[in-house]
Amino acid sequence: MQPIVRWFHQLGSPPTFDRFARRWSRVFHLAALPVLALGLWQALFVVPADYQQGDSFRILFVHVPSAWMSLFVFALMALYAAIALIWRIKLCEVLAMACAPIGAGFTVITLLTGSIWGRPMWGTWWDWDPRLTTELILLFLYMGVIGLYVAIEDRRNAARAAGLLAIVGVALLPVIRYSVDWWGSLHQGQTIRLLGQSTLDASMQVPLWLMVIATKLWFAGSLLAKARADNLQREAGKDWVQRQFQEDA
Amino acid sequence: MSYLGYVVAAYAVFVLVLAVDALGSYLRLRWALRAVRQRRQRQAARRSASHAPLADLELER
Repeated sequence: MQPIVRWFHQLGSPPTFDRFARRWSRVFHLAALPVLALGLWQALFVVPADYQQGDSFRILFVHVPSAWMSLFVFALMALYAAIALIWRIKLCEVLAMACAPIGAGFTVITLLTGSIWGRPMWGTWWDWDPRLTTELILLFLYMGVIGLYVAIEDRRNAARAAGLLAIVGVALLPVIRYSVDWWGSLHQGQTIRLLGQSTLDASMQVPLWLMVIATKLWFAGSLLAKARADNLQREAGKDWVQRQFQEDA
Repeated sequence: MSYLGYVVAAYAVFVLVLAVDALGSYLRLRWALRAVRQRRQRQAARRSASHAPLADLELER
């Protein structure tokens, strides 16, 4: 077996994951902080004001990365849930459920910062626009996943039920992504492209990509910390947990 | 055209939600570790009680 494949198999075991998450959750969080600070500094003080929107366009440096994260985290949660359902890997259930509160947080940031930007630019805090409405439905889906997981007492059944909801909810992601193309939307269309020419000025892309990297690192740290807590709660009675504590003491 | 208040509000929301997320992760981990520790203490107490001499367990008359 290849070393990388073997490492992934080993990582699927709760004790190995616990050791891995203990070390790396802190590393990812600490790595996110300087990138976040640099991104925020660039976004607030280095990039010049937009000639039409003034300083209000700076809100987009937190709004856009959070919006991307809200979609990315949901897709990842559904992927973990699918792996957990198909191959019955307990740790994937834990990881899927750890994704939900973080994704919900990013969706809340997206909706609130979008609303704060919309007030001076559109003249309203909220509009039942396709992009805004579908993003709000995404928040309800996240809350549904969290609610289902909390409501069912048996952890494995709870994770399966919530995971199924996450898998079904994936159908919403392309609707959010293409809502600005399919319907006449107040929300602007695509300006940043991974492949092809972006219509965003190059000077504005640096802080944006820094914030994208920072949110990804932050997410990785939070995911590992939350998954480690859930893993420990589930495995509290197992010998490895007691042994590990004996070693730590 | 500065919209400073809106910019500050938006960045405050961003930082606040990330801070709540980090605090939530930390507290959840602390509770999980405390639960494991309490379970270990209960098991240790049970084990020491089962090893105690039988005379200690008899009720006083």
